[in-house]
Amino acid sequence: MKRRQMLLGAAASGAAGVAAMAALSPIGSASAQTPVAPPASPAATAGGTLDRIIKDKKIRITAEVTSPPFGILDKDNQPDGSEIATARQLAKDLGVDLELVQVTSPQRIPALLAGRADVAISSLSITVDRAKTVMFAPPHGALSIVVAGAKGKQIRNAADMAGKKIGLTRATLEEATVPKMAPPGTNIVMFDDIAATMQAMVSGQVDAAGMSAFAAKSVADRNPKANLENKFTVTTAFYAAAVRPGDYDLLQFLRTWVFLNKNNGVLAGIYRKYTEVALIDLPVL
Amino acid sequence: MSRDFDWSAFLFILGAVRWTIVLSLIAFAGGAIGGLVLAIARTSRFVVLRGLAAVYIGVIQGTPVLMQLFIVFYGLAVLTGLRIDPWPAVTIAFTMYAAAFLGEIWRGAIQAIPRQQWEAAAALPLSPVAQMRNVILPQAFRIAIPPTVGFLVQLIKGTSIASIIGFVELTRAGQLIVNVTFQPMIVYPIIAALYFALCWPLSLAALRLEGRIDAALGIGKRP
Amino acid sequence: MKYVFQFGIVRDHLPELIHGAWLTLQLSFSAFGLGFALAVVLAFLRDAGPTPVRRAVGAYVELVRNTPFLVQLFIIYFSLPELGIRMEATTAALIGMSLNFAGYATEILRSGIDAVPNPQIEAGHSLGFSRLEIFRHIIVFQALRTVYPALASQFVLLMLGSSIVSAISAEELTGITNTLQSTTFRAFEFYFVATGMYLAMALGARALLHAVYWSAFERGQPTRGAWAR
Repeated sequence: MKRRQMLLGAAASGAAGVAAMAALSPIGSASAQTPVAPPASPAATAGGTLDRIIKDKKIRITAEVTSPPFGILDKDNQPDGSEIATARQLAKDLGVDLELVQVTSPQRIPALLAGRADVAISSLSITVDRAKTVMFAPPHGALSIVVAGAKGKQIRNAADMAGKKIGLTRATLEEATVPKMAPPGTNIVMFDDIAATMQAMVSGQVDAAGMSAFAAKSVADRNPKANLENKFTVTTAFYAAAVRPGDYDLLQFLRTWVFLNKNNGVLAGIYRKYTEVALIDLPVL
Repeated sequence: MSRDFDWSAFLFILGAVRWTIVLSLIAFAGGAIGGLVLAIARTSRFVVLRGLAAVYIGVIQGTPVLMQLFIVFYGLAVLTGLRIDPWPAVTIAFTMYAAAFLGEIWRGAIQAIPRQQWEAAAALPLSPVAQMRNVILPQAFRIAIPPTVGFLVQLIKGTSIASIIGFVELTRAGQLIVNVTFQPMIVYPIIAALYFALCWPLSLAALRLEGRIDAALGIGKRP
Repeated sequence: MKYVFQFGIVRDHLPELIHGAWLTLQLSFSAFGLGFALAVVLAFLRDAGPTPVRRAVGAYVELVRNTPFLVQLFIIYFSLPELGIRMEATTAALIGMSLNFAGYATEILRSGIDAVPNPQIEAGHSLGFSRLEIFRHIIVFQALRTVYPALASQFVLLMLGSSIVSAISAEELTGITNTLQSTTFRAFEFYFVATGMYLAMALGARALLHAVYWSAFERGQPTRGAWAR
C-alpha cells in the first residue's frame, strides 16, 4: 500500500532530522558531578532512561494543568498543584531541571509512550487496564471519583442518571467506571479535556459530570453561583507516577523515591497543602 | 477563591500568541522547503516522482489535520522508537501539512507559466536546473504569492488544533484561563479577536497582491 | 522497545468506526445544505442589499474566515450558555459547521457573481426583472457553474474539519476513535484506520461531486468546463 509506505517514508525523513538534531546536542556532559549517579555498568551505559535524565540534567514530566487541585494555573498563571509540586520535588531530588510537558488527560499515557515525557505524574489512578500499558510506581496519593452537578438536579445514586446528560473526560478513571454503573437511557457525553468537562458542568451543558471529589470541590468553591454539589461517590483509587514499559531503572528509582518521601512526610505535606485533607496510609505496590 | 479575568490573565493569553506565531512560522518555513520539492516533483518529467508527490499531496489534503497530528504524535515514536519532544512532534506534523498545500499551490503557479516561456528557456544555453531557477521559478513566484499568503492564514488558524493535544498556544492558553476564571463569554471572543488581528491583515494583503498581480499579468478578475 | 501492532482489535471495533464515519457524513452533508442555503441568501444580500447590510455580510465573512473553526465552536458551545443559550453538542457542531461553511461559500459565490458578464444583467434590467429575479434567473446558475469546483473543495475541507467537533463532545468518527483508543490503548492503530476512512470519504466525496458537476453543467457539451485544470 503506497499510503503506508509514504507515511513510513515521511516518518523516517522526519526522524532523520531529529536524529541529526540529537547528534548536535552536547554529549558527554559530566555525569560524575551529579549526586545520584548510579554505578556504571555495561547495561547502564546502553542508555537507560534514568541515565539519560541524569546525563542531560533534565527530566520531562507530564503536567495536566486543568485538573485542580492536582494541576492548575496559579494566580501568576504558572502551573501549580499537588502533582506539579510532586514533579518539582522529584526533579529536585534527582538534581536535574524539570521540563513540564503539558498534556490533556487523554494524552497522559500516550505522551509517555511516545517518549514526549519520561515520567507521567498527573493523578494517574492505578488500574489493571493501564498496567497493561505502563509501569506504575508505588502510589503517592489517593482520590475518589464522584458524580457532581447543580443542586437542582435530582441525582442521588447511579440509577438516577437515567435520562440525564453526564459529562465525562476520556481516558480517565471516571470514564472507566461511570458508564458501567449507568442505567439504560443515560446520556454519556465525552470530552477530551477535564477543562471542557468542568466548563460543560458549570455552564449547564450537562446535568452532572464525573470527576475526582477534589476537582468537584475546587470547581464548586470557585463557582458559588453554579450551586454545585457532589451527588454520589463512584469509586476510590490510588494514583501513582508511571513510566514506559521496560524502564526498570527509572521505576526502581521511583520506588525508592516514594519510599523515602513517604517516610519523611514530604508527600503527605504536598497532599495536605493542595487537597486540604490528610493523606491516608498508602499501601505498597 | 473565584478568580476573575484580569490583566494578568490577558497578558498570559497575549504571551501565548507568540507560540502560535512561532509554530506557524516554523511550519511555514519547513513547509516551503518541502513544498518547493513537491512542486518541482509534480511538474517533473519523471512519472514516478510525479506520482509520489501526487500521492503525498492527496493523502495530506484528504485527511484531517487533527488525524495527521495524532499519527505523528502516536505513530512517529512507535514506528521509529525515537523519543521526540513535543515541539519537534508538533512542528513536524504542521510542516508536513504545509508542504502539501504549498506544493499544490506552487505546482499551479509553475504550470500557469505560458508554454512559450518554457520553450524560450529551453532555447537558452542553460541546464534544466538553471532554466527552472532563472526563468520559470521567478515568474511562478510572483503568481504564487497571493495564494501563499492566503495559505499562511489557513496555517495560523490550523495551529489552533494543536490545543486539542494539550500543546500550549493561543487557543490552549484560552482554555487554561477559562478553566480558572470560568468566564468563556469573555475569554473566547478575546481569543477569536487575537486570531483575527493576526489573520485579517494577511488576508487583506493577499487580496491586494492578487489584484496587483492579476493586473500586471493582464489576467483581469479571477473567476 | 519494539512496538507490536495489533490491528485485530481495530477489526473488532470496526462497526463502531463505520457508525462514526456515517455520523461524520451526516453532519457534513447537513452542514453543507444549511450553510449553502445561508450562503446564497448572504451572497444575494451582499450583491444587492442596502449598504449597511452589505457591510454586515462582509464583516461576517471576514470574521468567519479569519478565526479558527475550533474557537468558533468554543464560543457556540461554551460561551453562549452564559447568555442562556444551550444546545446539544451535535447541534452546536452542526450550527458551527454551517455558519463556518456559509462564510466561505458566500465569498466563493460572490466571486462567481462578479464573473457573470454585466451586459446580461443589464439585459435583465431592461426586461423589467426585479433584483431578485435577476439573481435567480440570470446570476445563480452561471455563478454556480463557475464556482462549483471551489465549493466542492470547500465541502471536502468542511468534512475533514469536522474532526475537531469532538472537542465539544459531539459524536462522530474522531470522537468515537478517541473513545476507542483511550479504552484500548491502541492509539496508533485506531488513528491509522480512522485516517484511512477519512481519506476514503474525501476521495469518495470528490468523485461524487465531480459526477454531479458533469450531470448538472456539462451534459451534452463537448468541452470541459471550469473543473478542467
